This record gives sequence, structure tokens and C-alpha cells, in this order.
Amino acid sequence: MITSKSLLLMLTALMIFSNEVIAEAERAAPEASAEIGEQDKYASIRENLKTCFTCHGDNGQSKLGTFPILAGQEFYYMYVQLKDMKTGLRESQVMGPIVANIEKADLKLLAMFFSEQKWPETSYEINAKQSARGQRVIDEGGCTACHLATLKGNSRIPRLANQHPEYLKNTMHDFRNEVRNNAPAMASLLKTYTDEDIDAIANYLGSFKE
Amino acid sequence: MNNKKQGGSGTLMKVGLASLLMTVGAHNVLAGEEVSGGSLFGDMQTVTQDLLDRAAGDSNNFLHTNANYEQTRFYPAQQVNRENVHNLERAWTFKMDVVDSLETTPIVINGTMFVTSSFNHVYALDAKTGKQKWHYEHEMGLITTYCCGPNNRGVAALDDMVYMGTLDARLVALDAKTGKKMWDVEIADPELGYSETMSPTIVNGKVLIGTNGGEYGIRGFVKAFDAKTGALLWTFHSIPEDSTGVWAENDATGLYMHRDIKAEKAALKKLGDPYKTLGGGVWQNMAIDRDANRAYFVVGNPSPDLYGAVRPGDNLYTNSLVAVDLDSGEKICHFQYIAHDVWDLDAVSPPILVPVKNEDGQTVKGVLHGGKTGYVYVHNASDCSLIRYSEPMVMQRDRWVLPTKEGASMLPGANGGVEWSPMATDPSQGLVYAANIHQPMTYHVEETPYPGGKLWLGGAFKVITDQQQWGNITAVDYNTGKIKWKVKTHQPMIGGVLATAGGLVFAGEGNGLFKAYNSTSGELMWQDQTEAGVNAPPASYNVDGEQYVVVGSGGNAQMNYTRGNEIIAYKLNKK
Ligand code: HEC
Ligand code: HEC
Repeated sequence: MITSKSLLLMLTALMIFSNEVIAEAERAAPEASAEIGEQDKYASIRENLKTCFTCHGDNGQSKLGTFPILAGQEFYYMYVQLKDMKTGLRESQVMGPIVANIEKADLKLLAMFFSEQKWPETSYEINAKQSARGQRVIDEGGCTACHLATLKGNSRIPRLANQHPEYLKNTMHDFRNEVRNNAPAMASLLKTYTDEDIDAIANYLGSFKE
Repeated sequence: MNNKKQGGSGTLMKVGLASLLMTVGAHNVLAGEEVSGGSLFGDMQTVTQDLLDRAAGDSNNFLHTNANYEQTRFYPAQQVNRENVHNLERAWTFKMDVVDSLETTPIVINGTMFVTSSFNHVYALDAKTGKQKWHYEHEMGLITTYCCGPNNRGVAALDDMVYMGTLDARLVALDAKTGKKMWDVEIADPELGYSETMSPTIVNGKVLIGTNGGEYGIRGFVKAFDAKTGALLWTFHSIPEDSTGVWAENDATGLYMHRDIKAEKAALKKLGDPYKTLGGGVWQNMAIDRDANRAYFVVGNPSPDLYGAVRPGDNLYTNSLVAVDLDSGEKICHFQYIAHDVWDLDAVSPPILVPVKNEDGQTVKGVLHGGKTGYVYVHNASDCSLIRYSEPMVMQRDRWVLPTKEGASMLPGANGGVEWSPMATDPSQGLVYAANIHQPMTYHVEETPYPGGKLWLGGAFKVITDQQQWGNITAVDYNTGKIKWKVKTHQPMIGGVLATAGGLVFAGEGNGLFKAYNSTSGELMWQDQTEAGVNAPPASYNVDGEQYVVVGSGGNAQMNYTRGNEIIAYKLNKK
């Protein structure tokens, strides 16, 4: 379950930003459909994309901490997440209803679209001490064996480097609390870490630059 | 495929600088570019079956990932030896495009080196200068499923082709002269957890390759493909449909494994045989016995690694040495080291064929395997039976304590002992050299149903961070099982060993040091500091009368050693 706190945050964010964000999304839409004229392989998802942009930012370059950056995230990872949120294996009160009515083929296109966008520049407020501890935890935890030395992931392994720390923290807790059940091995591993470790990991990951 | 060379090697050496520059200008030396009449920097010698067979005595080429069909990693050249190894210096360094985990063994054919990097790049280099002849980058599918780094361990060669397995589980055949792709076939479905990191083994026109995936609930195999066409010739399933076995209570060294066999039998009744998702990857090269027409290989861990309740039985042939017939792929014999493993202490390091003394002191065909358990196992090749096992090379503590929810600590940790690192032998001394890991870990178990092609560990492995880690190189007398010498290293060892007729043993370390030891005493004789972890198996070759030793310095994903992208060749400074 999404914690009530983060849900509240999200709703507030939506209320405050939705008008502006939607307006922006509409402005961005023509650009996103630049391929029209040739043959728009994304034609079937153009409408969906506008919805996605309201939370995940233009082209998935999210600026809000609870909404993960999708722009430049790995295609196969995102496709798997969308499928898992549809089946409920990854329980998400926000995303669940959104993907419920989207066909698998379109989920694939959505993942493809976002994977082709550019990961945004980020600048988070980082607690240096926690970040240093996070680096140690990640080095010792063997995270780079799968997420790669750059922590930018590959295929079914997600990019972690400079993803929103707030989102990372939420999802790591969801792994531990068995809300996110689509990656049992990640969950088992994170269960061996404390809350402080998780704060530290999120801080360190946020300290990466593009 | 029918790229028969025109003219002898001599003609092609005379291409000359002018025409060479012209070619460079005109074609930008792109992979796939045909160069008229041969290669840019000289001719490739066709790799015949005869050449592959005689590799053990060939002190010019390095034709197999593990030196020869027997996988002895003993190189017969002695130009570089104990007297002069202190004069070993860098001849050249080649930087590859990908900076990531490097586990590749270069192979060298008549002065041309073929070497790979993470994410399946292949380079052909002039072995004398390190100059690039061509570069091939595999166009990776969007779906890859691998564990422990985007590694590749090298190519294999036959005729005018080189062959590579890819992370997206394909087998690719390239024209050795140009790097142009000739064909590309699917080995298995990457979405289900299959991937390739091993180099293939080629014999009798067959390309043999296994698979990774023991962490994903695959069903392991060794497959044989036709080297000319890529057609599948046979498949040996490393997990048989009846995987139950004999309900062994003890491991190969006689130690009790705390199995709850009653509960397992009940589970078998309820769940049936778990063979379809039981894992059992084969991800290192096989030793080939040409006379007996057999391949010997080891099979990896069962899936899920730590949670045994969903896979009752011995889980055959996981954690076993297996021999198959090369024509049919049918099993000849097997020996299981650890039945129903719940620690991921699987059989990985490539087996070696050498004559060994049996219990009665008679010399028989033997097979050696270095276990993650930290023991060298010595087998009779004829029926795979165990003749002896060595003294333990690493510290043992509470071995086979069962994993718990909170985490149970046991030594060795899940990386070994001997990881995938190939061992080397010096048959004249009856010694085998193993690279070992001491890395204390806790083993955590968690009930986990099959997650449909996703990582399936059934718990977690965790390094105990406040306990010291180290490694060692251990020389074991395989005719007695006694340790002859042991040299401790600061970090756990991963990458493999090369022994030479110069009385030397070469091995690299995670801290970037590449070292040569006296193979009789273990005395350190030479070292070089490189910029990344030296965690790839060394090789050696000869060009124009000079012996080279070559190794990759690119670090390691699994052990988190500093990544890099260098292939470094050394030779004697004659001054
Ligand atoms: C109302 C806000 C909202 C909208 C609209 C929305 N998302 Fe999300 N999305 C979220 C939140 C919040 C999460 C994190 C959910 C969680 O972890 O449970 C998320 C997570 C994701 C993830 C997982 C990312 C990761 O790193 O694991 C993907 C992929 C995704 N969304 C894609 C989409 C797509 C595609 C659309 C449009 C069809 C979309 N989202 C629309 C809020 C939204
Ligand atoms: C054995 C491989 C492996 C290791 C080791 C590993 N991960 Fe992961 N991780 C994965 C996979 C696979 C996923 C995607 C799971 C899925 O399909 O939902 C993932 C997902 C994640 C996510 C979710 C990202 C997102 O966008 O939602 C986080 C956060 C994460 N891992 C953190 C870590 C940390 C921190 C460590 C080290 C303590 C670590 N991982 C070690 C394989 C691994």
C-alpha cells in the first residue's frame, strides 16, 4: 500500500501542479508527436502519454520526488513494471487503475517511448553524511553486481543513479513491507537493511549527476 | 563461411604501408569491411581441428580459453622463466570501448589476437603491437537476463570463423578476417532467464555451449551447434526429468548436510519433480577427451539458490561433474558434490583432464575440479568416481549449517573457495594451482514461489562487512591431495591462473596487481600494478620469436573490483 503520507503528498502535488502541468503537457504534445507524417509508431499511446506526463513530467522527466523519473529508464524494466502493476504483483494504488485498461502492446510502447527520452539533470538536497554511509552500504552490499558500476542498470535491471531519493525510499520500503512483490530477491535483500541504511542509500543515489 | 584464403601467408604480409593507409582511408576500418585478399595486418591462419588438437604443445598460439582441450592452462613456452621474469615489461596496452567487468581470455592465432569485453564486443588485434584490426559490437536484444555482471569470457575459433555466446542468449559466428557476422542463432529465451557469458568449445565441427541462469529458474543444458550453419545438433539437459537421485545425506567429503529428507519426500509427492525450473546452468568450458570422444563439465546450482523446500530431491545433476558422449550428447557418468544444495556452493571452475594416481598408485585418466567448497576434487575419468579430495584451501566453519530467516553464518561464503576462476596445472610437478576466496557471509532463506523468469534466490546472501576478507593461491599435489604451498592475497581472488613451462604461475588480483610466482615454491617473482582489477584469466603466446603474457585489467562486477577496459601484453625487456 502507498503510505497515507505519500498519497497525500501526491494528491497535493496534483492539485497544485495539475493545471500547469497539463498545460505544459499539451504544449509538449506536438513535439512528442514529431514523428507524425512518417508513421507514428506511438500513435496508439499519444493520449495515454498526456496522462503520464501529468505526474511523471514532460516526457517522463519528473520533477516531483514521489513520481519516478521514467525518461531514459530501461525499456524492459519499465515494461515489466507496467505488467506487474496491472496484475497487482506490484501493488500501486495510483498506477494500478491507470494501467488496468491499457493493453499489453500499448504498455510495451509506453515503456519504449520513455526509454528513448533523455534522463533529466537533477539536483537534490543531499545529506552528505548519509550519502557517505550510503556509498559504503552499496559498496558492501554488492548492488553494483546487478545495477552495474555506474548504477545505471541494463535491460531488466533499473537505473538507480540520480532517481528521486524520495521515490527510491518509498519503493525500498514497499519491497520490505511486501507491497512490492514483483522482485522477491530484491525484497529479501532489502529486508536485511535498517531504515537508516535505506535513508542512506537513497541519499547516496541522489548524489549522482548526469 | 567459405572464405578460403587466397595465397599463402607470405603474400599478404607484403601489402605494404601505402596500400594499408589507403585501405584505412577508404573504409575507416569498420567491422564488416572486406579487405581484399586477407586482413589488414597480415593473414590469419586457418584453425584446423589438427591445430586445436595439438594446442597443448603449441608454444606460438593460444587456441582455447583454457589453453587446450584438457584445460590444463599449462603453457609450454619457457622463454619467460624464473631467471628473467623480473625483466617482464609492458609491450602494449589496448583500451576497449566498454569499461566494465572483464573476465575474458584472449585467444591468439598466428599473431592475431581475438578478445572480448562486457556487452559482447569482439576485437581482433595484432598480437605483436596491440593495433586493432577490426571491432565487432553485438547488437544486443532489449531483453537480457544475467547475474553477476555483463561479462563475456571470450571467443572460440575454427577454420576462418570465431564464435561468441551473447548476453541475450545467442550464438554469433563472425568471419575471423573481417569481423563480419556470418550467422546468429538463438540458444534459448532470454526472457526466461537464459544468457551466455562462457566462451564456446569447438570440436569436430561442433560448437558446444551451456547456459547461465541458475538464479532464474531455468532448465540448464549443453547444446551442440553445427559450426558451419548454426543448426542445433543435440541438447543435453543438465536437469533430467527424474532429478531425485539417491537422497544423499552427506556431501562429497562425507560431511552431513542436515537435510530433512522426510519433508522432502512429502513435498515430492505433493509438488512432483521440480525439473522444469531447477536451474543447473553450465557456464564454463568443458574439457574434451578426444580419444574417448567425451566432454566433461560441471553443472551449477539449483534454483532457487537458498530455498530448498520447493525442489525436493538431490536435484540432479546440479553441483555435479558430468561426462557426455560428443556425438550424441548422452550422459556417460556423473558425480554429485552437494545434493540438494541450499548455499549456492555449486560446481563452476572448469574441470581439467590430467593423468592422476588412483588409490592403488596406478596412473589413470583423471579429472580435477576446484570447488567453491575450497577443496580440489580428483576423479577417475572413466566413471567420474571420486578418487580423493584435497586438504581444504580456505577456512571452514559450521559447514552445512542451514540458512535461516535472520541469516546463518558459514564458511566458505557463497562465492567460494574457488569461484568460476579456472585453475592451472603443471603436470611435470603434479600440481594444480587454484585461486581462492575467503569471504564470510550470512545465508538468509525466504519462502519464494517461482517468479516467472525473474531473479529467484529464495532469500539473500550477505557479506559480513566487519569480518576480514582475503584470498589465496594454493598449489595442491593432486596425486596426494596435500597442499604444497599457499600464498595469501589481500583480497579474495577471482579470475583464474596460468602456469608455464618457465616454472611460473601468473594470476591477477582485485587491487590491480598482476603477479608471477615460482610454481614450485610460491615465491613472488614479479608484479605489475595496473589501473583496474586483474580478474581475467591470463594467456600466453609467441610472435616473431618473442613470448608474450597477456591479461585483461577491467575489474569485476561480482566482487565489486575497480572497473577498467585494458588488455595488457607483457614481454621481456632484452636490454
Ligand atoms: C497520478 C499520478 C500518475 C500518473 C498519471 C502516472 N503515474 Fe506512473 N507512477 C506514479 C507513482 C506515484 C509511481 C510509483 C508507484 C509505486 O511505487 O507504487 C509510478 C510508477 C511508475 C512506473 C515505475 C517506475 C519505476 O522506476 O519502477 C512506471 C513505469 C510508470 N509509473 C509509468 C507510467 C505511465 C506509462 C503512465 C501513463 C500511462 C503513468 N505512469 C501515469 C504516478 C503516476
Ligand atoms: C542480484 C541482482 C541485484 C542486486 C544484487 C541488487 N539488485 Fe536492486 N534490483 C534488481 C532487479 C532485477 C530489480 C528490478 C526488479 C523488478 O523487476 O521489479 C531491482 C530493483 C531495485 C530498485 C527499484 C528501483 C525502481 O526504480 O523502482 C531499487 C531501489 C534497488 N533495486 C536497490 C538495490 C540496492 C540498494 C541494492 C544493494 C543493497 C540492490 N538493489 C542490489 C536486482 C538486484
